[in-house]
Parts: sequence; structure tokens; C-alpha cells
Amino acid sequence: MTANNRSRNRELVEHVVLPVLFLTVTLLGGLRVVAENGTFIFIAPPLVTLVLAVLLMLLLVRGRLVTLHEWVGHELPPLTNIAHIWLLITLFFASAQSFNSVLPERGLLNWLFSFFFLWTLWNNQFSSLDPRRLLRSLAILFGTAFVLKHMLLASLYSPEGGWLKRIAGTLLQGVSLGTLDASSFAPATGYISFFTLTLYVSGLILLAFAGKDETEPFAHPVIEEYRQLPAADRLAVREVILDDQPEPVARVEREPTPRND
Amino acid sequence: MQSRVIQIAGLAFTFGYAVFIVWIYATEPRTFKEVATRAEVTAGTYQVNEEKFNSALDLFRREQFRAARDEWQRADPAQGDARTQFYIAYSFYREGWGRVYSDQQLFKQGLEAVNRAIALSSASPLFVEDPNLHMHSAAELKAELEQGTERSWSDVNPLKVLRTRK
Repeated sequence: MTANNRSRNRELVEHVVLPVLFLTVTLLGGLRVVAENGTFIFIAPPLVTLVLAVLLMLLLVRGRLVTLHEWVGHELPPLTNIAHIWLLITLFFASAQSFNSVLPERGLLNWLFSFFFLWTLWNNQFSSLDPRRLLRSLAILFGTAFVLKHMLLASLYSPEGGWLKRIAGTLLQGVSLGTLDASSFAPATGYISFFTLTLYVSGLILLAFAGKDETEPFAHPVIEEYRQLPAADRLAVREVILDDQPEPVARVEREPTPRND
Repeated sequence: MQSRVIQIAGLAFTFGYAVFIVWIYATEPRTFKEVATRAEVTAGTYQVNEEKFNSALDLFRREQFRAARDEWQRADPAQGDARTQFYIAYSFYREGWGRVYSDQQLFKQGLEAVNRAIALSSASPLFVEDPNLHMHSAAELKAELEQGTERSWSDVNPLKVLRTRK
């Protein structure tokens, strides 16, 4: 009965909760609230965020957060394959919109942020990652971008800020010849972005658990790779490991040292 | 079997949600009220507020064009009614028209409104039966507005002052 419930809950998470979560991120990632009149602006994902999302998807596959061979394959029923491909599509757009949420809308800052995201994601492609480390790294990446955009820059360019902030903002704009121009939105935009990023990271954590045995969601990479081997190879690996065991050290009887009486 | 049901239900529900998101980004509503209005337009149940429309018409006839436009915009917040958009364009024309020169800005806004009206009545040419108007078709109004925004040698013709507002 417990196993039945477990399987049902897992199905619900995979096919309902996760797509809904990622689609909500897609909806909210491009939402901004205008400071003057509180109206909404929906910003569709710019091209650069789609490129970033592709890199992030590759990273998720490399970091084994998305195990493609378990999700889509010949041996799975067609409906399961479709459901999993749909989940991957929602994940892709959620990733693009998460970047959209923390990228400044225009100006040099937009280019700078995009460049740093590209640089980080490209570098990560060549480092060895496990799901736990990847999740931590992504949470820090989005968290840093959020703090920079919605706290630091928003406070510098806020029309309601104090005179010191406004002077700093104007100076920054002047020094950069106006290229550091940033849009100022209502504080609600920051709250929406925070909620969006929290949802996205929670979705990734759930994704790490989805389709895996919950007793060991983050197994060591070597163990994961061992599990993917065919039965014959696994047997061979076990034999090699057992053969490599060091010989038991012969117990040397401690001979009593002769006493010079 | 139960797994199949969950998969199908999940796919159907989330696909519907995705369509809603695409619709939101395509229509770009600015407020929650606008979301509801646009949903009405999509569902085909949208109707212009007749009371506000008539009140705007009354203001238009009294040559209070700005107030009339304001009222028409409230009557047709989704800009989805061809007749209202035609009247809005007409109000821009009448306000912008001048014996010596016409207000380019107002004429351009009028042109945008009449284009909206034409787009909304693409099935059949828009014709408004109103004895108080001199131009009854959207095409006629568009031509007049376009003429007002173009610069030509006829602009320096002194006889131009003799023409009348339509």
C-alpha cells in the first residue's frame, strides 16, 4: 500500500506538480510592475535567455539532474515519453524566464549580466558536477544576480530613493555616458522575481528527487555510473573490487625481546 | 491504469495552462481587469458599454472631443469595437482639423484609430449611419486623415482656407 502511494505521489509530482511549477515560473519570469501606475508589463524571453537556457539544460544533463536515458527511451510507453518531453519543454522555458527575471532590461548592464551568465555556464560545462553541487551552484548564481538587479541596481535607480542614492545613480550614469541606464520598476517586481526564483530552484530540487528512489537521491557519481552498467559488467566490477582488497596483514606475533638479565 | 490517468490529466491541464501563458504574453494585459476584458474578447462575449457610448456621442456632438474620446475609451477598453474606434478617429479628425493647417499629432492618432476600426471590420467595409457626420465610411475618413498628414504644394494654396470641415 505504501509502495502504491509512493508511486502515485511520484507520478503526480512528475506529471502535474513539476510542469505547473515550471509553467508558473514561465508566466512570472517576464512580469514587471510599472512604478508610476502599477500596471503590468510582460517581457517575452529575449534571444540571449534562450541561449542561456540551452546551456543550462546541457548543464542539467551533464550534472545528472536530468537523466535523459531514464526519461525518454524506446523501452518506455509513448505516453510516458510524451509527458517527459513536455516536462523538459516546460523546464527549458522556465530556465529562460528565470534568466529573464534577473537580467536588466536594457543598456550595458544587460550585456554585462548576459556575458557573466554565459561565461559561468560555459565554464561549468567543463567541470565535474554532481546534482547536489549543481543545485548549490545554480542557487548561488541566481541569488547573486537577484541581489545585484533587484536590490543594488533597483535601489540606485529608484526615483523614491534618498538624495545620496540618486546622486550615486546619476554619477554612475554620467561616468558610463548613459550606457548603464536601467529601468526602474515598482518594488512588487522584486517580490515577484524572488518568488519566481524560489519556485524555480524548488522545482529543480523536486526534479532531482523525481523518478529516483527517495532513499538515495544524490548518490555518488561512481555509484550512479555503476548502476547504469549491464549486469555482467557490474559483476566484473565487483570481482575487480574484491580482488583489489589488500591482503590481510599477517599477524606477527610479538616476540618478547630477550632480556639481558 | 492509474498512472495513465495521471499522465493524461497532467498533460491536458498543463497544456491548457501553457496556452493561457502564451495568450497572456500575446495580448499583454496591463491590469487584472484587462485580463478579464481580453478573455471576453477571445471568448466572443465582449460588448461595448452602450450607456457610456451614448454619453460619449453626446459629448462629441457638443464638440467636446477629448471628453468624448475619454468616454469612448471607457466604453470600449479592449479597443475591440469597430464603430467606437471609428468615432474615436472621427473625434481626432474634427479636433485636429484647421482652416489653415491641421494638427499632425491628432491626425496621426486618428489614423491609428481608423486603422484599428478597419482591421476590426475586415469582413465587410465599415459604414456608420449617422446624419451628423459628413463621412460615413472608414475608408473615406482614412483618406481624409492621410491627406491631412501629408505635405504637398497644395498646402500653400490660399484658397485652402475656404474648405470646410467634414
